[in-house]
Amino acid sequence: MDTSLLPILLGIAVLLPLISFFVILAVGRWWRPVLGGYLATAAIMAAGLLSLTSLAIWLSHHPVGAAGHHAADQAGPYVGDYYVLGQFGALRITIGYYIDSLTIVMCCLITLIATCIHVYALGYMHEELHPVTDHEVTLPDGSPLRRPGRFSNFFQYMSLFCFSMLGLVLAGNVAMVFVFWELVGICSYFLIGFYVERKSASNAANKAFIVNRIGDFGMLVGMMALWGGMGTFAFGDADLNGNGSIERSERGLFSLVRPAAREHQLTTPEGLVLADAHEELQRWALAHPTATRGDFESYVAGELDDLRDGGPDGSGRRYGYWLLVLAGIGIFCGCVGKSAQFPLHVWLPDAMEGPTPVSALVHSATMVAAGVYLVGRFYPVFAPEVLLVIAVTGGITLFLAATIALTATDIKRVLAYSTVSQLGYMMLALGVGGWLAGMLHLVTHAFFKSLLFLCSGSVIHALHSNEMTVMGGLRKKMPITAATMLVGCLAITGLSIPFVIGLSGYYSKDMILEQAFSFARENPGLLGDGFFIVAAGGAAMTAFYMFRLWFLTFAGEPRDAQRYAHAHESPRVMYVPLIILAVFAAGVAWPAPFGWPSLQGLLEQARPAGTAVTAVSAHVPFVWPSEYIAHDAANYWSIVVPVTWLAFLMAVAGLLVAVAMYVTGQLSAREVSRQFAPLHRFLLHKWWFDELYDLLFVRPLYVVAGWCAAIDRRWIDGLIDHSARWTARLAAWSQWLGDHTLIDGFVDRLAAWTYRVGVSLRSLQTGSLRQYVLFLVIGVVAVFLISSFL
Amino acid sequence: MTIWAATDWYAFFFLLFALLACGFAAAVLFTSNIVRMAFYLTLSLGATAGLFFLAGAEFVGVMQLMIYVGGTLVLLVFGVMLTARAPFLSLRPRSGEWIVSLIAGGTLLFLLIASAFGVRNWRTASDSGPLPLAEAQTATAVGAGLTGVRVDRLNRDAAGHALSQLPHTDSGYLLPFVIVSVHLLVVLVGAAYLARAKVRRRSATESTASVEG
Amino acid sequence: MCGLLAQITVSHYLVVGAVLFVTGVLCMATKRNALGVLMGIELLLNGANVNFVAFGSKLLRADALGLDGQLIPLFVIVLAAAEAAVALAIALNFYNNHTTVDVDKAEELKG
Repeated sequence: MDTSLLPILLGIAVLLPLISFFVILAVGRWWRPVLGGYLATAAIMAAGLLSLTSLAIWLSHHPVGAAGHHAADQAGPYVGDYYVLGQFGALRITIGYYIDSLTIVMCCLITLIATCIHVYALGYMHEELHPVTDHEVTLPDGSPLRRPGRFSNFFQYMSLFCFSMLGLVLAGNVAMVFVFWELVGICSYFLIGFYVERKSASNAANKAFIVNRIGDFGMLVGMMALWGGMGTFAFGDADLNGNGSIERSERGLFSLVRPAAREHQLTTPEGLVLADAHEELQRWALAHPTATRGDFESYVAGELDDLRDGGPDGSGRRYGYWLLVLAGIGIFCGCVGKSAQFPLHVWLPDAMEGPTPVSALVHSATMVAAGVYLVGRFYPVFAPEVLLVIAVTGGITLFLAATIALTATDIKRVLAYSTVSQLGYMMLALGVGGWLAGMLHLVTHAFFKSLLFLCSGSVIHALHSNEMTVMGGLRKKMPITAATMLVGCLAITGLSIPFVIGLSGYYSKDMILEQAFSFARENPGLLGDGFFIVAAGGAAMTAFYMFRLWFLTFAGEPRDAQRYAHAHESPRVMYVPLIILAVFAAGVAWPAPFGWPSLQGLLEQARPAGTAVTAVSAHVPFVWPSEYIAHDAANYWSIVVPVTWLAFLMAVAGLLVAVAMYVTGQLSAREVSRQFAPLHRFLLHKWWFDELYDLLFVRPLYVVAGWCAAIDRRWIDGLIDHSARWTARLAAWSQWLGDHTLIDGFVDRLAAWTYRVGVSLRSLQTGSLRQYVLFLVIGVVAVFLISSFL
Repeated sequence: MTIWAATDWYAFFFLLFALLACGFAAAVLFTSNIVRMAFYLTLSLGATAGLFFLAGAEFVGVMQLMIYVGGTLVLLVFGVMLTARAPFLSLRPRSGEWIVSLIAGGTLLFLLIASAFGVRNWRTASDSGPLPLAEAQTATAVGAGLTGVRVDRLNRDAAGHALSQLPHTDSGYLLPFVIVSVHLLVVLVGAAYLARAKVRRRSATESTASVEG
Repeated sequence: MCGLLAQITVSHYLVVGAVLFVTGVLCMATKRNALGVLMGIELLLNGANVNFVAFGSKLLRADALGLDGQLIPLFVIVLAAAEAAVALAIALNFYNNHTTVDVDKAEELKG
């Protein structure tokens, strides 16, 4: 089959969930609710099949090498437009696509996981099929809330969510990315606030939405900077006029930033350079008053490289470079919001208020993945300084979230902070130059995190509680859930038989650690070493909190006998997706299993041009080693072996501490927490972040808002009130004068006069025939007299 | 004999009929008995018919006698008889009304008489003098006029012979005659309708009254 | 005879007509009996007829109205008959409804 089918297949795959959404929206209320669920599931399943077909087509045209590491050449993206919305000068706003192996992998990932979650949700949400009594919401009269079930609404939002994420992945230009980006945001808002009657749920939805807005503001700035500098929204080059060559106006963002003519090195685009250097150009133009436009253009063309690279020796100012950095940081701001990175990570744990399938979707393949995906997609645009920012943000997030996860007792919250921590891993990997490592971890994490969430959902479904303190011993009651969740824990921990085989997390996490180690080797010092130490420590903490979770839930003795007695294994519709996801979580990252193409190799095909070489920043003293270095055979003993062992040991250490604390009881968790009481409380309160933000932002905002309200009430309202009062007084006066006295007076007096005349004439109207005759006579006499004397 | 001969009989009869007409009219005015009023009115109208004869309008005089005295007044007398119950035989107005009416009527009478003698042409006979009474035979001309032929307005040649053609624009009183005929018919039907006894309605009101009583 | 009557002219007829007319008007103005009012009307019409006949009489003046002076009284007579019939019907109806012929009792039109 031809690769020209790819855009069509993927386009249909994107549209199917949208169609499902609209169908449910239009006719859902007349259907039995369960039909909406079936429709949404069928749509996403069909989209998944289309994605897998696309993957097969791709593989048949772009075979992947076995080893995965720089084995295959980059396979060029397929770029094009479905529909041109409008063209404004050089700016084309289109519905376009940009298909490379990353797009296809993401499509498969999203549809596969979403299909599992949809099927799972068919079972999990069955309560919504009937009118629901929500015991967590108390009405003013003290009775619990009763509301109609919202089964089909749930699947309607899920469909829109999947559509948004698939569209984001397929998007071929920045404008589309932004549109789908916001669609993802609004869908998450709907789904997190699904139990909208619960105060906590609506608060969480608001929080997620508002925090994302903060990031999106930066993203808008970055996009404007990119557009202002390059005049195009498109990612890839497109031969618009079909003459077989790519002209300047047909270049996309990526080839403008990393032109092939400069060996895909990061190059400040012309527009940014000229925008920044406009003072110099003005100076030249003033000094040459007789110069023609042609002279000016030739001068600019001659000076462009000097302006861009800081003069012939590279020591001068690099015009436009800071704008490129600004654009990169702006884009990353959006990703920080969406992927819950350090300053804006607070929304993600609260997003647990949504139903568990939503959490699974948000935390694995869709919402948070969008941020990491976008960093990966915009990777060629990021200057080294931006990469450093990304790495620092990722590192802080990783450590912060991991520590919080250590003490959390809510099963979903542990997983939520684990997600934040893993996202920090990905950002750290991307920031230290490990594009492939970050993307690979994105994929593997999506599988095992959705698996973990669905397992926790299964537990919650059985026990009707999120608290791990009431769980325990469930492995006997829920063997499948326990087994699949163990697979997920092992996968996220990265446990393995070193150098032989491991679950998916082993490969991606080791790759991140190797890159971090490689970075640290090149850049000894606080940051370089810090990144590696954080990453390694994070691995230990990950192992600890994940197995703490598993032991507390499934091992030992039941802590709450009553709940335990009612617990039961979930129905088949819920545990079959668990098994499927467990298989993927275990095996998705295996290098060349059974001779199949490896995921690493497939992703490698999408590596942005020019990012596989060692990069040096001109402004910060750091070197970003090529990702290939860490996996080079020459460095096998110096990098791969020690890092692999270190990671293994770290994970085992974490596991052993967990075992000691929660299985064998050599370490008492209670004792430890008492010993480190301040630290424990610090972590239990999530580093006081919510309180800090409350103090730093919310309260000042309330104060300022209070002032504004006071000004509003005192001055503006006062002004308006006074003017209104004066107007009313004036109106009353003019009413009295004009209306009552003059007009009404005139009319009233006329009416009164007419009435009086009428009354007086009435006495003439006696009704007596004889008097009328007399009047006639008198009238005739009068006429006679008048006519004869006048 | 001299008195007989000297008497202007035309003026005598005029005076007689005029006095009769005016006197009985005044009697009608001043009596308060309705039956007598009807009688005096008959005499007054009859005297007026005499005046018509004197003025040479013998057809109008005959019609006056036949229609007015013989028809209309009989109708009135019937009305009097139908309603002549003791309380209504003599209804008197208040004397104040009498005075006001007489002042107004007197003024009007004065004005009318003043104007009657105010026009010189009316006060004097024409130069050629009145036609002899014997020539005043108008019944034929009136009949022709009612059917649309104005005999008195025929074009005459110099010798006074009537020309055969009639003026195109003068069709006499044919149309008013027809209209009046139809009008009369309608009026009679309407009068019959208005005056008919409403037996059913009256019995109904009486029955309710008896129930109440 | 006195000089006033030396020659009977239109004016003399007009005086008779005026007397009849005023008498009729006064009848209408003073009679409380509805039939009395009707009689007043008859008198009034007769006064008018006398005038018409006088103006139309060739016996009195050669340049008189002529035949019109006789035709109009004819119509007046006929209309008077019609009027009398209708008025009598109204009076009888009034009598039936109010059991009186006193026109002062008929004052529904009083303002």
